[in-house]
Amino acid sequence: MLDIPTHMDFVGQGKAERWSRLIITFFGVVGLIYGAIVQQFSQTVYVLGVGFLLSSLITIPPWPFYRKNPVKWQKPVITDPKPQNGDSSDEGKKKKK
Amino acid sequence: MHTVLTRGNATVAYSLSVLACLTFSCFLSTVFLDYRTDANINTVRVLVKNVPDYGASREKHDLGFVTFDLETNLTSVFNWNVKQLFLYMTAEYKTPSNTLNQVVLWDKIILRGENPVLDFKKMNTKYYFWDDGNGLRDNRNVSLYLSWNIIPNAGLLPSVQATGKHVFKFPSEYATSSI
Repeated sequence: MLDIPTHMDFVGQGKAERWSRLIITFFGVVGLIYGAIVQQFSQTVYVLGVGFLLSSLITIPPWPFYRKNPVKWQKPVITDPKPQNGDSSDEGKKKKK
Repeated sequence: MHTVLTRGNATVAYSLSVLACLTFSCFLSTVFLDYRTDANINTVRVLVKNVPDYGASREKHDLGFVTFDLETNLTSVFNWNVKQLFLYMTAEYKTPSNTLNQVVLWDKIILRGENPVLDFKKMNTKYYFWDDGNGLRDNRNVSLYLSWNIIPNAGLLPSVQATGKHVFKFPSEYATSSI
């Protein structure tokens, strides 16, 4: 199968949300000013619609540049499995009862 | 914000919130405007008849016949929060039985973009000028008012009355010939 990465890392998610807010707010303000100048509220709505489409295009798909800060996992700590673990859990259950 | 769907949801929700704010701003920008303007109304021919009102009691009531001139410029009324105007002309008068009678004689819808400069000559009324009794004949003080409702994109639905009015009187004799 195609191996397409679809995730964003945490920094990327923060960026996506911030850019989404910024773009929509900017187009809303510009639309309001433009609509007030031409005295057509429909133009305001259209400009906001353009902002919505642009924001959707930029921030909704998981573009590669939202994946530049991958989480650095710690190396797994390898511990020896102890045979008494199962017994102790059983004892705990018995005590609760 | 970790999947396409959550980001899409957030974008749509935020866009709609911004749209609500913009609509409210549009409402705020027009809520304090004064929509009154002047109108010139004049009557050309005034008759009154005494005929049976089959729509109501079948008794003989006064029926007024008025033709009028109307001249007004409504350009200043339109802005980005006015989609259309509903103009209507009312006659107000006093009779012994009622201190205030109001009869709508004529109306017109003007959409934004249509010609807002009105200059009508010798218009007939659109609706019957019935009195609910015999209060029209020899009535010396009948006022014609032009009013309009504003249909906005968002906000209030103001009802505005033009500053100009016209006062006329009905003749003291019933008209007998057909008009």
